[in-house]
Amino acid sequence: MLSAILAISLLASAFGALLGFASIRYRVEGDPIVERIDQLLPQTQCGQCGYPGCKPYAEAIARDGAAINLCPPGGESVMVALADLLDRDPVALEQEQRAPGIAVIDENICIGCTLCIQACPVDAILGAAKQMHTVIAKECTGCELCLPPCPVDCIVMEPIPLELEGWIWPEPPDSIELSAAAEQPA
Amino acid sequence: MGETIMVEVAYARPDEQRILELEVDQGTTLEQAVELSGVLDRFPEIEFESAKMGIFGKSARRDRVLQERDRVEVYRPLIADPKEVRRQRVAAGKKMKKGGDT
Repeated sequence: MLSAILAISLLASAFGALLGFASIRYRVEGDPIVERIDQLLPQTQCGQCGYPGCKPYAEAIARDGAAINLCPPGGESVMVALADLLDRDPVALEQEQRAPGIAVIDENICIGCTLCIQACPVDAILGAAKQMHTVIAKECTGCELCLPPCPVDCIVMEPIPLELEGWIWPEPPDSIELSAAAEQPA
Repeated sequence: MGETIMVEVAYARPDEQRILELEVDQGTTLEQAVELSGVLDRFPEIEFESAKMGIFGKSARRDRVLQERDRVEVYRPLIADPKEVRRQRVAAGKKMKKGGDT
């Protein structure tokens, strides 16, 4: 009897010590769920979700339970991935999804005012006061934040040129002849 | 040889843009970094003597000493004349849009 109590309490204290050690040794800094949400977001820093950037939106989702359908650049796939990660129900996107594009500056109109440079969250526009502004295509995330500030409306969004690395199989047409086939009894 | 810093040298045309990373000695000036980067070989149309240069969207003097992670930028001149564009816009009766509003 006594030896049993002794054995159990010995085991309990040993495991307790192990757990205590592990909680100190393998302590996780920060909130890992925020990091994982942030990784799913497209990092356009466009602010279309209503938060200042992707990280603040990730924090809002994790801490305040913000909606997961506010990210237009991410579109449906990001929303579904978020729902999956957070074990929430998928919800329809708040805004319509647009085809991804990049900003292009019309050089004949640009007056070098730097307003678009200040608006760009990812430093994708190269230029200075009274110098030509140019979009660095690789850096542009297509967030469209540079469009409204331009006083001469010289920035337009253009669809991303189709290249080998970005090519995907085109989707089948919407109204595939299923209904037609169904209506034709053999 | 003292410590080195990482900087970038960038140049952009509508059809091609390059951001070149390079490691330079502490105390390297803007002008030296542009020469070292090889951007002049890649884009022969840059007129090194007269081209305007700057750091992160602000024109800077050529003898400006670089700091870690600076993005040195070589600019191209404008095509449109800002004053002329403004005159045309006034004549067309368009409202001037101030920056920042949506």
